Amino acid sequence: MPEIRSAPLAVICAQAAPGALDRLIAPGYDAVVCRTAPDEILVFCPPEVAEDVLREVTNRLPALDEHGLVLDLTDGWHAWTLVGPDAREGFSAVSALALPGGDGFTQGHVAQVSAKILTAADDVTIIVPAYWSQHLRERLVADAAGAGS
Amino acid sequence: MAGSIDFEWRRVPFEDGDTVASAVHRTGVRTWNRSLKYHRRRGLYCLTGDCSNCLVNVDGEPGRRACVTEAIEGARVRRETGSPGPEWDVLAITDRMHWLMPVGFYYKAFIRPRWAWEFAERMIRRATGVGRLPTDGRFEPKRARTTHCDVLVVGGGVAGLAAAIAAAQVGERTLLADEGALGWSLSAPALQARIEELSAEARAQPNVEILQGHSCIGLYEGPSAALVGPHGLVEVEAGRVIVATGAVEAHGVFPGNDLPGVWLGRGAARMAVRHGVAPGNRAVIVGEGPEVQDHADALRDAGAEVSLVAGRVVSANGRRRVTGVTVETADGRRSFACDALVLALGHSPRDALLRMASGLPVGGAGDVVLPGCTPEEAEASGRRAGAGEPDAPSYPVSWPAMEPDGYVCICEDVGVHELEVSWDEGWTSSEILKRYTTATMGPCQGALCGRHLAFFAESKGAPPAATGLTTARPPVRAPKLEDLVGGVHEVIHKRTALHERHVSAGARMDRSGAWQRPGTYGDRREGYLAVRERVSLMDVSTLAKFLVAGRDAAALIDRVFPTRVRDLAPGRARYLLALDEAGYVMDDGLLSALPDGRYYLTSTSGGADRMEAWLRNWSDRLDLSVHVVNQTAQLGAINVAGPHARDLLVSLSGDDLSREAIGHPGHADVTVAGVACRAIAVGFVGETSFELHHPRSRSVELWDALLEAGHAWDIRPHGLDALDLLRLEKGHIYLAQDTMPDDHPGKLGLSWAVEASKPWFVGKASLERMAALPLQRRLLGLEFDRAPQRGAPLSVDGRIVGRVTSCGTSEVLGRHIGLGWVRCVDGVFPETLNAGALTARVAPTPFYDPEGVRLRA
Amino acid sequence: MSLLVPCPHCGERPYTEFTFGGELRPIEADGPEADFAQVYLRENAAGPQAERWYHEAGCKRWLTLTRDTVTNTIER
Repeated sequence: MPEIRSAPLAVICAQAAPGALDRLIAPGYDAVVCRTAPDEILVFCPPEVAEDVLREVTNRLPALDEHGLVLDLTDGWHAWTLVGPDAREGFSAVSALALPGGDGFTQGHVAQVSAKILTAADDVTIIVPAYWSQHLRERLVADAAGAGS
Repeated sequence: MAGSIDFEWRRVPFEDGDTVASAVHRTGVRTWNRSLKYHRRRGLYCLTGDCSNCLVNVDGEPGRRACVTEAIEGARVRRETGSPGPEWDVLAITDRMHWLMPVGFYYKAFIRPRWAWEFAERMIRRATGVGRLPTDGRFEPKRARTTHCDVLVVGGGVAGLAAAIAAAQVGERTLLADEGALGWSLSAPALQARIEELSAEARAQPNVEILQGHSCIGLYEGPSAALVGPHGLVEVEAGRVIVATGAVEAHGVFPGNDLPGVWLGRGAARMAVRHGVAPGNRAVIVGEGPEVQDHADALRDAGAEVSLVAGRVVSANGRRRVTGVTVETADGRRSFACDALVLALGHSPRDALLRMASGLPVGGAGDVVLPGCTPEEAEASGRRAGAGEPDAPSYPVSWPAMEPDGYVCICEDVGVHELEVSWDEGWTSSEILKRYTTATMGPCQGALCGRHLAFFAESKGAPPAATGLTTARPPVRAPKLEDLVGGVHEVIHKRTALHERHVSAGARMDRSGAWQRPGTYGDRREGYLAVRERVSLMDVSTLAKFLVAGRDAAALIDRVFPTRVRDLAPGRARYLLALDEAGYVMDDGLLSALPDGRYYLTSTSGGADRMEAWLRNWSDRLDLSVHVVNQTAQLGAINVAGPHARDLLVSLSGDDLSREAIGHPGHADVTVAGVACRAIAVGFVGETSFELHHPRSRSVELWDALLEAGHAWDIRPHGLDALDLLRLEKGHIYLAQDTMPDDHPGKLGLSWAVEASKPWFVGKASLERMAALPLQRRLLGLEFDRAPQRGAPLSVDGRIVGRVTSCGTSEVLGRHIGLGWVRCVDGVFPETLNAGALTARVAPTPFYDPEGVRLRA
Repeated sequence: MSLLVPCPHCGERPYTEFTFGGELRPIEADGPEADFAQVYLRENAAGPQAERWYHEAGCKRWLTLTRDTVTNTIER
């Protein structure tokens, strides 16, 4: 049975020309850089380093695209993580998405709402707009928690 | 494990591996059901879960096929047809009254007199049907999950196993699903041994997953499949699908073919081999081919006397069960006494899944595509399919012709006679014949009778288009509703950060579109009066909020909206209309200009997703470099409204909140109770109001601080109920309530919000065209002599000319007010109208504070 | 269980992840009559049709593709 944990996660957004984002170097700090659209990246990182990541990206982007935009969107998202060997099976009960093996990123419908998903070896982190946080949790408890039992 | 089940009033012992059918058959039960319409006796027939003769109620669940239901200790099994039961059925008399109830009779008889039909219908319904649904409210929520694979194989016989092994050997992730245990429907000992070998080999492959007890009920584009298993639905997204569902023995159509004691050959053999139960003491097997000999051996081993006859079955004889059979042999017509008639007349592929998947990467293997093939041929076919080269389907090699009488569709009691009568009435294609007679629409879904229906149409000389097999559609096995609803939840709510605060304040939470919002905190008058007289708060976090930035931000807003944009200075705000390409109003909101060429756009809560799509679409079509950030979730918003709104904010902020600092409409960045906010001066409710847009993580803190400090002015929060009346008093519209999908701004009195001189904006050309047309309909303010009802029609001289879209009784004004649609009559808009029994007078809006004095205070 | 739509950024996805944006139509019209047709009339072709689709569940970006409305197949 996978465990469901609330995962504190900071979200930094950068929007710029696709070519600029291609050349943007990852800010480090354990941050995961996800290319959510040709002209948009979301950087997920622990809240403790959010300020650093925001600063790094804000410093690096203007040289690549002077009209680029960098914002801290942390408040707009909420993350829940399914933990344990049954995490992926639990996920399959709330979404038809095929998950990347190992560490990866995908986005699509989870529990009938649009979500971003980060995968690691034994856990799956689902990130939704903050107003759906309660909805996602209820679905995970109702459908995903029973996996592997 | 042996044990016993409760079958009606007795305990029936069973042996290890028994099905309910085999255990009960051993006790001598031969009549399992009474048929749907004519209450004819039915007994075990196919033994493979295809027909509907053995449907029983197991542990309260109706519609279980006894022939594939494992006998489990303590199971309570009941037959469910016949009054009082299938052995003695009062309604068996209906079988003598075919003349009264011919095919389609419910379209002809009992229709007149019309008042009698309702009574007749209820009687007819009660007299038919198989089984009763449980009414004790039990419902076991099932789960659903999705799995992905390269190859899905449906059916775990020799062909399916061979296919799965072959696919796995070329490295494909393979899922093999069977509705029962692997090879469960096969009986010949040699075959069973081969199944064991293949199963072991399949299990040894690292990339093969086997799901037993999972029935594939449908194939869809993708290709994807729906499997129903013991725990619920499994949706499979596959790269390709191999259907190896085998064949069912051909159903024979002759007089007496539906009597208890008539069996399909493979089913009878399986019962004999697996359960040691013979269908009867003296069995006659009619048919030809090597399989027939295997059937005979199996039945003999189970203790039956067996005669093998080659020829055409003319009739099965007997009244309550088979007592003999008449066969047209090479030596002429012969009759044989028997208590079991076993048919081996041909093979009907179970190909519904294949037929519904045309155009998809789905192929077949085994006797579903090569009916009548040997086990070795089936295995080779499986290997070819697994390697990616499935065999094309071929027609059944032999097919029994229909005798002039007999039941074609035993599920729905449709006989040859019924088909002939319907054809003569003019229903002359297989598809329409199906719909008129209901043949193939029963639990077997045409598995037994589908080909007979098609051949019947062909034999009548119908053109090819009218003689095909009827369209195959999911589900091919009946799933329970609780399986289909697993994992599907209808209610998805968005919540603001203040949700818990509203709930603990005793708010009545309403569904407002996708959001949960407080309707009222106790009596709505309290919130309403607080707004008009003192100060109040409302959670407006649900508002759509967008940051629009980038090189072409101004250009995008200028072209997408009809609003004048270029002269909007930072710190100022302007009412924003959103029009579609036809010039119709689809949304409205507020546009605020920020420094550095950025804009902050707010619009109606319900339209957030559409607005985001709209902005993104136009920036793409117009090839503009724009950054659109949907901040609806990220920012909370609290509206502080009332004559003392400014006083309250001043008490919590050191910033300049005067009229000069925040124009109206306008905005400024201020800190309130330590929370950084964008304060937007708005006027929706007609009092001094500030929408405080702030980080969602600080909503609770800000709300609490405002309420606390607001005690000094006896603050109360207000919700949607109060808002409705407040905005109505100002004549402000609610989109989709007061507007229709084809309203251009002129009809709503909002032409002032359109900058017609702009060279281009979405909908401009349409607006220009419509501006030249006279206005036929307008949204107008109304006053009533008594409290009106929303939706009431407005009429003039008995002719309906409009409708009340919003209304309410204004306490501060002491008037009954509303908004409504009014058409012009003879080119003139009426001043007085009737709203049902009330009188309505057109009144100018705003009703309350028309000069806007209170907003300028 | 669905028609698969090829999102240029996210790959093949079920159509349920998208909002359908209708036939592709010109932005500007040549004149009032052309505008009338553009706004109120659709080609509604029985055959290949250029269409706008919005990947609402994923990248939230628009794409244009050609779909045959008779066979319901998308050109790739």
